[in-house]
Amino acid sequence: MVDPAREVTFKKETVSKLLMLFFKDDKSKVSNDTVTLMAEMLRIFVIEATRRAVKHAENEDCVGVDLEHIERILPQLLLDF
Amino acid sequence: MDEKEAHTQRLKAAVHYTVSKICQSTVAECEKQISKQAVAAIAETTFRQCEIFAKDLEAFARHAKRQTITVDDVKLLARRSTALSSHMQQKSEELAMNNQELKEKRKKNAAKRKSKEMEGNEAEETES
Repeated sequence: MVDPAREVTFKKETVSKLLMLFFKDDKSKVSNDTVTLMAEMLRIFVIEATRRAVKHAENEDCVGVDLEHIERILPQLLLDF
Repeated sequence: MDEKEAHTQRLKAAVHYTVSKICQSTVAECEKQISKQAVAAIAETTFRQCEIFAKDLEAFARHAKRQTITVDDVKLLARRSTALSSHMQQKSEELAMNNQELKEKRKKNAAKRKSKEMEGNEAEETES
């Protein structure tokens, strides 16, 4: 994470196709910057989920993050977004 | 209908790929490990959350009587958490600045090209 250029993000194409898939109205369009910003938003969502699960696993003194940790953090995560 | 299903599956796979990359790099920072099922669960959650995001964005744009979703709609989407919304604000400002720089560069390049062309024409004229 030191080098921002090497940060992993969602591909613009993926994000725009995802948004298009879920739109009810076919006329809805997305601007270029919006797609970039949404990719950042989804990236934050994934990082937040992982970080919370890792913290939970640490509290329980587990080596790895498993499904149960995700289950535990899911309700609050969804409330926060 | 089948084609639509296949399209959805492909998108899900794409999301899963990126999610697992982000997960691995985040977990590596904290010196922990993560199971495959956990990654799959996060990927599925992200996919469903994206549906909520998309529908919210569409509703925001419609409320503003627009058909194009803009950066402001995304900012509104991040309103629930102060830290997130300030981060998104910062990112959007960065994007706007980059765009402006690009525009100015293009303008400069275009101007340069024009002046070069003019010089070329003048040279030709003096030669003849």
